[in-house]
Amino acid sequence: MMHAVAQALCLIGFAALALATRRPQHEIIGRSLPRGPVSTLRLAGAAALLIALAVLVEGKDWGLGLVAFSGHTTLAAAIVYGALIGYVQAVARRARS
Amino acid sequence: MKTDNDQRVAGRGLRQSMSGLHTWAGLLLGWLLYAMFLTGTVSYFKEELSQWMRPELPRLAQLPDPAVVAQRVADEIGMLAPGTAQWSLRLPDTRNNAVNAFWRTSARGPGQRGFEEARFDPVTGHKVVSRDTLGGEVFYRFHFQFYYMPVVWGRWLAGIAAMFMLVAIVAGVITHKKIFTDFFTFRWGRGQRSWLDAHNALSVFGLPFHIMITYTGLVTLMALYMPWGERAAFKTPAERQQLAAELSAFSQPGKPSGDKLPLASVEEMVRQAQARWGRDNVGRVNANNPGDATARIAVTRGDDARVSMSPQYMEFDGATGKLLAVHDGVGAAAETRGVLYALHLGRFSDVTTRWLYFLVSLMGTAMVGTGLVMWTVKRRAKLADPARPHLGFRLVERLNIASIAGLSIAMTAFLWGNRLLPLTLENRAYAEIDLFFTVWALTLLHALLRPAKAAWVEQLWAAAALLALLPVLNALTTQRPLWHSLATGDWVFAGVDLMCWALAALHGVLALRTARHGVGFGRTTRPRNAEPRSDDRGAAAAAATGEAAR
Repeated sequence: MMHAVAQALCLIGFAALALATRRPQHEIIGRSLPRGPVSTLRLAGAAALLIALAVLVEGKDWGLGLVAFSGHTTLAAAIVYGALIGYVQAVARRARS
Repeated sequence: MKTDNDQRVAGRGLRQSMSGLHTWAGLLLGWLLYAMFLTGTVSYFKEELSQWMRPELPRLAQLPDPAVVAQRVADEIGMLAPGTAQWSLRLPDTRNNAVNAFWRTSARGPGQRGFEEARFDPVTGHKVVSRDTLGGEVFYRFHFQFYYMPVVWGRWLAGIAAMFMLVAIVAGVITHKKIFTDFFTFRWGRGQRSWLDAHNALSVFGLPFHIMITYTGLVTLMALYMPWGERAAFKTPAERQQLAAELSAFSQPGKPSGDKLPLASVEEMVRQAQARWGRDNVGRVNANNPGDATARIAVTRGDDARVSMSPQYMEFDGATGKLLAVHDGVGAAAETRGVLYALHLGRFSDVTTRWLYFLVSLMGTAMVGTGLVMWTVKRRAKLADPARPHLGFRLVERLNIASIAGLSIAMTAFLWGNRLLPLTLENRAYAEIDLFFTVWALTLLHALLRPAKAAWVEQLWAAAALLALLPVLNALTTQRPLWHSLATGDWVFAGVDLMCWALAALHGVLALRTARHGVGFGRTTRPRNAEPRSDDRGAAAAAATGEAAR
């Protein structure tokens, strides 16, 4: 359960951080976001990652928690990355058809 | 006084230098690193793989009380090896369904120690007979010492490769200046640029892990690579013995007194350890001079939930069962080494963390693989005649095929060998290893003889087929097919079978994509004067300012 919560928080965190970067903004909404929402997304992303770390450290202590956090963040970043690629491909396919 | 322009030029120079260092440090031992990474990745499940490779050993549905098991097996070893100077047994746990034990025998030659090992059924305590195999140990040992060469040479070679890796990682970080800006960048269908994006993503997402695993890999063998400090600091035998006690629960048996006294209750000693560390968190029981008045028993703590490999053990008088000492901690330097060692091995992990280790390590393997392929992709574009590349290019390309696709075939063939080699074959465990290397050599031969694209596609398909059919072979040759494993909750066997199918699918997709597009055989980069594509706005901006990804 703790791992599932931590992974979900990491996914939310990286999704927010991805949306705070220019390329995914153009790919998803077709334009750059203004500075305000970008800062909010960055803060929200960082906060979600910090909460995930807190959940893991609380459940497993610092040593094991940090190791698990490193694994969860890597996996979540890879999933968000894969989802962005999948989304862009799906949009491109729809545009072609 | 330096101007801004001078600083920009100096910065670019450093980045270009680091780019060259990254490329060549990554390439020169890249094939070895890929093999080390992949076999190391698989080793996170070496205990499970060993169980799969010994299908005769039944699944442990419930873990028996380790204290009772320890007594049973200690009694059995006492009968099998009376008078041995030392024995050690590893208790079963959730990942091991047997008791692994070894004991000293008479010396095989001058200056040599003899050892014998066996597996015991934890329920009966009797020695179990299973096929002769080294199981998952093969990949584990390969990833840091290789085969067909003296162990020390292999470890030096692994250390040199790891050092190259560390240099490549640091140089790569300096080279890749837009780590955060390009964190989520992937430009689809752009040949070299796509490979670079994939390589960057695989590298950056797992960067803390990649640095940790490479550095801690060097630390695990630091005493071999840099023995001088230790030699200078610990000169007398007593000092060296003290050092050994900081690093391991094993100690050399002293001279026996000759007074025969039976061992006190091992069960009772393990019970005391259980009271301290938990019922199922006892690792090993080591005995020195069992049956003698000088007998000593060490009961060690298990690896669970402890990010340290520093030994923790309780030492007992073997004849009386009296607790002599509790070794609960080591000095700061030894503990630092213990933590780094534990981070590398990951034995403290629960199931989820183990899977995270496996997946991130697999990303590291893919990072090395994409780096190797990118070397050819980048240079293919510059070849005068891409149909007739120069010798160096052809060599790298063929080695890439054999070390990436070929290794998948060889590793799967090793598992096929485990099921198909006759059980009565002499030195069967080593025949499995020979098969692994023979098949790997054949894939290199195939890669040398076939056109590169055909070789990639054929080898990827071969790996996919071997992986997909392995669960079928398992069903035909053992009593533990997938449906049986699923029905009985045998997740070790079911996990291996399902993982084979997942990896078969991955290799199939790679084969299909390679057949369609090639591995860097098609378009390399878009012409500079082309219109920006909808998916390439960032790259267009970067190109305009001369800041292409590298």
